[in-house]
Amino acid sequence: MSTDLKIEGVSKNFGSVSALRDIDMNVEKGSFVCLLGPSGCGKTTLLRIIAGFEHATSGRLLLDGVDVSNVPPHKRGFGMVFQSLALFPHMSVAQNIAYGLKLRGIDKASQRDRVEELLNVIELPTIADRPVAALSGGQRQRVAIARALAVQPKLFLLDEPLSALDAKLRENMQIELRQLQRKFGVTTVLVTHDQTEAMMLADQLVIMDHGVVRQSGMPSQVYREPADAFVADFLGTANVVKGEVSESGAVTFLGILAQDKALPVGGAGIEVAIRAENIAVVECENPERSILGTVEFVRDLGPNVESIIAVGEEKLRVRSRAREVVSLSAGQQVGLKIDPDLCSFFSR
Amino acid sequence: MDPRHSSLRSFALSLPAIIAIAPFLGACFYIFRFSVSGESGRISGFSLQAYFELAEPFFLRSIWVTVKLAALSTLVVLILAVPIALVIASVRGAVVRRVLTVTILLPMILNLLIQSYGWIILLGPSGVLNTALRESGLISRPILLLFNETGVLLGLIQTAIPLAVFPILSASRAISREYLEAASSLGAGNWRVFYDVILPLLRPGLVSAASIVFAYNASAFAIPLLLGGRRVQMLGVAIRDMISPLFNWSGAAAAGMVLIVITTGVLLLATWLINRSTRTPKSTGTSAPLQTGGGA
Repeated sequence: MSTDLKIEGVSKNFGSVSALRDIDMNVEKGSFVCLLGPSGCGKTTLLRIIAGFEHATSGRLLLDGVDVSNVPPHKRGFGMVFQSLALFPHMSVAQNIAYGLKLRGIDKASQRDRVEELLNVIELPTIADRPVAALSGGQRQRVAIARALAVQPKLFLLDEPLSALDAKLRENMQIELRQLQRKFGVTTVLVTHDQTEAMMLADQLVIMDHGVVRQSGMPSQVYREPADAFVADFLGTANVVKGEVSESGAVTFLGILAQDKALPVGGAGIEVAIRAENIAVVECENPERSILGTVEFVRDLGPNVESIIAVGEEKLRVRSRAREVVSLSAGQQVGLKIDPDLCSFFSR
Repeated sequence: MDPRHSSLRSFALSLPAIIAIAPFLGACFYIFRFSVSGESGRISGFSLQAYFELAEPFFLRSIWVTVKLAALSTLVVLILAVPIALVIASVRGAVVRRVLTVTILLPMILNLLIQSYGWIILLGPSGVLNTALRESGLISRPILLLFNETGVLLGLIQTAIPLAVFPILSASRAISREYLEAASSLGAGNWRVFYDVILPLLRPGLVSAASIVFAYNASAFAIPLLLGGRRVQMLGVAIRDMISPLFNWSGAAAAGMVLIVITTGVLLLATWLINRSTRTPKSTGTSAPLQTGGGA
């Protein structure tokens, strides 16, 4: 049932505004792809083009090798979960889930069986006859997912479906969503601006900004080896600071010297991304391989302590494990240890 | 909050409505009292004579014509108003929307008399339409579109369209684009989306539009008088004739009561029927209080 999707050179202009520029993407059969980016980056537009609600200005969509660019949405056979969920308010839960089956001319008895099966899958077996208005947020969420999956879609598309839920419920739904997707083995594309959600759900993470794909890959790989300073900054908490490369290829940043970073040499300015959790705070009396900074702000979040520490011109965001860090207070002088091997270097 | 305080406040807030509606109810009661008067020229004693006198073919035909024309015009107006409302709702530009809204509102702004003369110029025996048809050789004698039920029906439809467009327009605002896209992603073509999603969600607007148009047209007076020329005796015209040439006040009052009862009865019936036939989510015991009825 599952399908692979290939996006080739898709661009979209709204009047003179370019929303997407030359997007290429491969969504493998049965995989879970998250489109992640700040608002206005074009991720929702791309999803709407995949669903068929928008028409790409140029480029094409291949579904199992077949061009579906000109197929209208109701003939694509995809299942979609909308940001507002869009459950039909004039239909009961069962009628909502069965709607796609009804349109496919499936007989009443099979519809009922399928609805019952899906309600069991989403662990809400008793709500079939309820009106949609009587459901809680999490229940609606599950019903919307069940409705989209009822028709055994070739592609499962989700547009920020969890953004309206509170934090705890959202985390539970993320786990459930991932389990459901594995169970049905359906090729899935989800749009989100929430990086934790994307890291948690995705087999493949696609980071977008200003209508282009900045990086695509496995979440852990994108996190550890960001392609550029934008990705490093967007995913997780990173400090992007300026550095320099000497003629000999030696890199200096924040007074730290690093070697062999395979960067173009010649005194050019570079950018260095340092993850907040990769900065160690030590007593300032230890001068060896540590730099001096002044604590400007501290907040204790329980498991972690987050602080902003000024080093010269730069203000570094630092995240330390609560039990491993010396007690910090604003105005205090501390030493910082940064391992260049855990930093990412980008030429500017 | 002190409950006495809040009931006092609700009373104060509803005072304007009470002031507006009290004379109307007073008039209704006065008409009722006159209709059971023992004399036809003034209120004195009690008698059902006026009602018995209504049970004759001329008046029964008048009731039939009234109900028929009001119902037909309501049906046609709804069919025309739905696409108009959906088009206005889909317009993005503020200026275009303003122009469309004013255009639709025109029949409400213009005097009924002027509109009727407009129809006479268009449809009369030597009017625009007949002249055009005759010149083009399609007809040899003028077709009669005025001073019969066709003319009255056209007038009733045209003048009532704005009354239907605006309730439907406001109901259409509750239909988000995502409902339509959800239906379409599940496999519904445009007509199915319209039939399965748009129409049911417009229901509250349709019920109130139908109620307003039916009540407005059942009690129409100027249009049937000017475009029907006394030959189409809708109740409004019949009542006036009882008063003006005949001075049968109690008869006119009884006929008025009949009109009120018919209009109210049809409205209640329609609301009940529509609610019953389209109450789709079967309410289970626990969820019943959350059910929203789409009444007018």
